[in-house]
Amino acid sequence: MIRVIGYIGRKAIDSCTHLLDLFAFLYRIFAQVRDRPREGRVLVGRIIIQQLYFTAVEALPILMPIALLVGSMVIIQFAKLSGQYDFGRISVLLIIREIGPIITALLVILRSSTAVTIEISYMRVLHELDAMEMAGLDPIRVVCLPRLIGITSAMVGLFVVFDLVSILGGYAIVWMVTDIPMSNFLFQIAKAIKLADIGVGLLKAVLFGVAITGTSLYRGFEMKHQITEVPVATSRSAVEGFLYCLVINVLISIVFYL
Amino acid sequence: MHLLQLNNYTLAAQGSGDGLSGFSFSLDKGDVCAIESANPDDAQLFLRALATLVHPLKGTYVFKGHPHDLKKYGEMLGYKKQIGYVARDAALISNMSIRQNLLLQRYYYENRLDIDLEPEALSLCGDFGLMEKLDRRPSELNTMEIQAAIVIRELTKRADVMLLSQPEDFIGHAKFDLLVTLFNQLITARLPIVFLSYDQRLVERFANRKVMINNGSLTAMTTGPPTQGPL
Repeated sequence: MIRVIGYIGRKAIDSCTHLLDLFAFLYRIFAQVRDRPREGRVLVGRIIIQQLYFTAVEALPILMPIALLVGSMVIIQFAKLSGQYDFGRISVLLIIREIGPIITALLVILRSSTAVTIEISYMRVLHELDAMEMAGLDPIRVVCLPRLIGITSAMVGLFVVFDLVSILGGYAIVWMVTDIPMSNFLFQIAKAIKLADIGVGLLKAVLFGVAITGTSLYRGFEMKHQITEVPVATSRSAVEGFLYCLVINVLISIVFYL
Repeated sequence: MHLLQLNNYTLAAQGSGDGLSGFSFSLDKGDVCAIESANPDDAQLFLRALATLVHPLKGTYVFKGHPHDLKKYGEMLGYKKQIGYVARDAALISNMSIRQNLLLQRYYYENRLDIDLEPEALSLCGDFGLMEKLDRRPSELNTMEIQAAIVIRELTKRADVMLLSQPEDFIGHAKFDLLVTLFNQLITARLPIVFLSYDQRLVERFANRKVMINNGSLTAMTTGPPTQGPL
């Protein structure tokens, strides 16, 4: 019994330490925004644009079909289930408040977070970060900051695209393919959406972006010298990032909707 | 005032080495210091300590008369860029082209993204046969070309100290004359050099100081002024 309690205690302490480390790491990245050093502004700006392109623009051909499928599926199910009563409102609740941010987060984790962890891990193992330091460049500023800003901004953009495509595209698909009466749908949606829903969705996207990028960068930097640790770190960063997104999602829902 | 000093330094062992305990070392302008060690890991460890890439278990690092706390890594960056480091663990940034690697410091410190290399860098690229490969990524180059690019990057960063590990391997035995020329240029500029070489011709020709590393202890000795000119 004492062993079990000891094990649980040790795991709890490890988890708390890890969370504190993660927050400290994020603090160091945000300190770069606060301090606004002159060095590297142009370089950081260019890497942010590259990251936005990789995470947002290149993800659109994958995100848009997923949004269409999810949107039409939700609309069909709720149109049948609700007997047309308030199904626009239910769709908004589900897509904008919950499904949109979570699926966008999942896509960003699968495409970009894993890529970032692998990239940083390799840079660490192959001494590329040492080379940066020896050139007088701060890896927190040149590697972490642009990825944090780029992925978080991409997350917000993708979330907006997901919502628009899933609601409007889903409506169009259901209207074209099925005989479900849709005359009132867009009116119901317009009536159901509140500014707070959009604000909360954007807040979720920002926090998800920070959590996902922070975790993937942290796991990459945590790497020591073994290249065989890279897959383990990548898997941990993906699972952990998604877990944090779910926790943030629940916390925000509790704060804003209960 | 010495240019660089390690006082009462103790370093934990790495790889198959014994580590280094309680040694002191200083480097001045014009010093050309050869490292002799039976264990390459210990020699590498010493070079990494000079480059501030490993932290000591105890001891102080003094650069240009100022003692530094290596844990404050943000403050150390300004000093690190004054140290040229060519060693087997030196690397190029793999998601940038060779040209971008050579320009990285300028991108950062001068906030310029133009792609024109300085004449000195261009000349060295010509000497090393890299002119046609400047816009390729490191993964598209062979090991010798990557090492040549590292040498060019470090030589053109206007360092105050140059640390070299087996430069004959980096520059290539086939280009030994080029290596001698580069050494002569560095010595003419009175740039302090610490190097590890298994080519005795280089050690005997250029070193005016020697560092012997054996079983975790380090002994420094003076051998005489270096001479210049062809071997």
